[in-house]
Amino acid sequence: MRLLGVALLAATLAAQQPAEQPQPAAAAERNLTGTVDFGYRALSGVGGDFQAYRSVVNLGEGPKLFALDAAFQDPSHRLFDRVDLRMNSWGGDPYNTARLEVRRDGAYRFTADYRNIAYFNFLPSFADPGLERGLLLNQRALDTYRRATDLELTLLPGTRIIPYLAYSRNSSRGHGVTTFVVDANEYPVPHMLRDHSDNVRGGLRLELARLRLNMEGGGITYHIDQQVYTSPERNYGNALRPVFGQTLFLERGNQSLDVRGSSRFARASFNLQPAGWVELAGQFQFSQPDNRTRYGQNNAGSFVDFSRLVLYSSELVALDSRARQPHTSGSFTAEIRPWRGVRILEAWLTDRLHSAGSALLTDQLLASGRPLEAQTLAAAERLSLNYHQQEVSLLVDVTRSLTLRGGHRYVWGNAETPPALIAGQPGPEPELRRHVALAGGTVRAGQRLRLTADLEASPGDRSYFRTSLDRYQRGKVRARYQLRPSLLFTANFSVLNNQNPAPGIDYDFLSRQNTLAAQFTPAGGKRISVLVEYTRYTLRSRLNYRDPASALRELSLYRDNGHAGTGLLDITLPGRGAVQPRISAGGSMVAGTGTRPARYYQPLGRLAIPFGARGEWYGEWRWYALSQPFYLFEGFRNHQFVTGFRLKM
Amino acid sequence: MAWPPPTAKQSHTPPPFRWGADLRGPLSVRATVAAILLCGLAGRPQAPTAKPAAEYAGSGTCAACHEEVAKAFRKNPHQRVGTGREWKGRACESCHGPGAKHAESASAPDILNPAKASPTRSEKVCLSCHSGQLAQLGRIHGGHGRNQIACSACHTIHGRPEQLKLNNAAVVNRQCRSCHTAEWAEFLRPHTHRLIQGAMACTDCHNPHGSSRPRSAQTVSGNEPGCFRCHGDKRGPFPFEHAPVRLEGCGACHEPHGSVNPRMLVRAEVRFLCLECHSNVGSRPALGGIPPAFHDLRSARYRNCTICHSRIHGSFVSRGLTR
Repeated sequence: MRLLGVALLAATLAAQQPAEQPQPAAAAERNLTGTVDFGYRALSGVGGDFQAYRSVVNLGEGPKLFALDAAFQDPSHRLFDRVDLRMNSWGGDPYNTARLEVRRDGAYRFTADYRNIAYFNFLPSFADPGLERGLLLNQRALDTYRRATDLELTLLPGTRIIPYLAYSRNSSRGHGVTTFVVDANEYPVPHMLRDHSDNVRGGLRLELARLRLNMEGGGITYHIDQQVYTSPERNYGNALRPVFGQTLFLERGNQSLDVRGSSRFARASFNLQPAGWVELAGQFQFSQPDNRTRYGQNNAGSFVDFSRLVLYSSELVALDSRARQPHTSGSFTAEIRPWRGVRILEAWLTDRLHSAGSALLTDQLLASGRPLEAQTLAAAERLSLNYHQQEVSLLVDVTRSLTLRGGHRYVWGNAETPPALIAGQPGPEPELRRHVALAGGTVRAGQRLRLTADLEASPGDRSYFRTSLDRYQRGKVRARYQLRPSLLFTANFSVLNNQNPAPGIDYDFLSRQNTLAAQFTPAGGKRISVLVEYTRYTLRSRLNYRDPASALRELSLYRDNGHAGTGLLDITLPGRGAVQPRISAGGSMVAGTGTRPARYYQPLGRLAIPFGARGEWYGEWRWYALSQPFYLFEGFRNHQFVTGFRLKM
Repeated sequence: MAWPPPTAKQSHTPPPFRWGADLRGPLSVRATVAAILLCGLAGRPQAPTAKPAAEYAGSGTCAACHEEVAKAFRKNPHQRVGTGREWKGRACESCHGPGAKHAESASAPDILNPAKASPTRSEKVCLSCHSGQLAQLGRIHGGHGRNQIACSACHTIHGRPEQLKLNNAAVVNRQCRSCHTAEWAEFLRPHTHRLIQGAMACTDCHNPHGSSRPRSAQTVSGNEPGCFRCHGDKRGPFPFEHAPVRLEGCGACHEPHGSVNPRMLVRAEVRFLCLECHSNVGSRPALGGIPPAFHDLRSARYRNCTICHSRIHGSFVSRGLTR
């Protein structure tokens, strides 16, 4: 893809050349439009923790194709009417994307999407038992790439019968660190990860005046391959105390996981307008993923099996398992307009997911090379979920500028889960039951003011988890006011208050977000534009839990209060003709206090100097700085300098 | 191409139905009429609202005054409407309604401008063609539909194709940000999905037209949550499932827009995240067993549950989610 990117860049630049000579290139100029943005990024060197920098920012040095956006229109309309190509962040950046769209009106539309996203995560404060001992050994780290390709071909778009075919491939590859868990100890070890899936789907859309039907079928195959291996040195893991007088260690070990699965899925939907005052729509979806797993493990060292109270030196494990998950969903909606300015919305949906798995495991323990004990275990588990929802809303246009809405939602369902693992209790069969009152409104004053409010509240009844929504009130208000053509104000207020007062739970959760934003663009922002956004957020959670060792009731408190802001000032300086330099300055910041205080700054400054009507040079400075008072070793700061050219085609 | 019913101002062009004005009466009557209409549905194209041809001015007349719009519209996918049988040469009027009167008077009230009409009215213009599309199926469930956000709030109808259908992640995100500023602020936190960087678009996870899933979330491979489009290794099904993943979704433990906590977790320490559910004593039935007593939280080993229970999203091998 990189070669393709370079070739396309070269082609684009080549196509750019004729723009300098207006006479012969006049026809081509009309049909090829777009921009290309390329340059070089330099880093000052990362101060602080480089691994944290890579986990959060991860931008590197070197020449880059920052963006390419090109459209070509074929005046002859032979093979295509228009081709669009878009590429972003090529040249070693952690996120590369490309999109190609080719279409010919009434004949076909073809789209190809590609994205490659790096996922690097090495934060020593996360799940690191060595932290107490002053060791920054991340035991859960990842360095992977996720690539996704999506192709879709639609035939005869805009006609009554539209067939389409799509293919998607999604793959991930990389390595990381995980733990090799052997009964009483766990050992951080290298981890190889690889998975991919191929998804094919095709369907037919039927578009009549009052009835639209869509039928789609497809299948997916997927493969997950993971391996854990060890180095020849002894690994003493996290449990350093001797057990039965023996130090536990892992000398060599290997885990291999091979999962192969597939799924068929189908979807059918309709939209029907039997009359001007009613619209009906429905959808049915079905999928049935099914997979088979083969797992092998061998490990040698010094181990203890608490369940059998034996010390052993090596272990062989083999497992064969299967899992299947039929999943059926359906929804039906109706919009009825019985009188002018009155709308009744009815929505109903159901979702049923039943997951069943079985596994056969053989475990052989050896001591000093002699078989000690072998056991074969069979397990079968089942998880099922039945979810239903019914909602009815009434919308009334009280005046031309005011619409009020009220309604009711009823959510109900039940689940069946495997029995509790340790305590041996039978699995609970909890229910979900919730009545929710809905209200809202929209205020419009011409094109200048728009205000929407969404409110819902539930007295609580049955929920699945201690932290689930139970007795809650949720509100959202969004306002947008265009004071002058050049001045726009936006405000958002949202609140969620959730409580579960049941004895033994006593959950109290409150989250608020208030945002104010203003955009000032006099004369369409030709000379100056200003953008300011400010958000104040607070989150408070209070819930008791039971300490497993002491069985005492403790309190889990979580707070996250902070300020987030973005500001950007863009000024065009006086110049000669089209050569008018632009200066931009601003950036964003988050400053939070609470359980994990953090300050994250991303200021920027930019100078752009146009040359001619079709190009500009720019230079940019950015600073990334993360500081966390409780985890100072995870902070970083980094200056970045970018210089490049942006050319119009 | 069914033209939506005109307003009272355009009463010179009688609509096929006047939003139930012909059908007023007890609900049972309307239900009966609906049933009749359902049964009698022929599936044939609706006549383009038998309007006298004299009412239409033709796109050429529109272009005479609205030169810039007409020029931009030539490259717009909607221009194809004017090449079909029903609206041949009248692409502008397929959305704006008959324009002869406006052409004579040059007065704005004499023609429908969906961008300035009430959202219900302008939405109806767009949905007369687009209502059956897959993306629109969850319209009633979605917040935009409920709050009557007009199509023109996000789509520039006359402009270039890329303004009409937003495919560029950065442009999509900018569009969403203009209203959802609070959500945008969540992406300013250190641990987030790569949205600000332009690697992802809001529409990768949410369907702005609405979806039957909470928060208008997208689906993949039929009805699986859209998260599995990228996080395929968490798809399962697992022989040993972790119930919250299926019952509550990823949002039970993660803040998908961004968090100050690593891995976008909703709590700063893993143990609290786990123990808040795994403490079911004396409470009414709720899911979540109790860890055995050897989990001594004074030791750092037991404060980081995912050190041992590393396959927390579900395991192919171990019931304890340890491998």
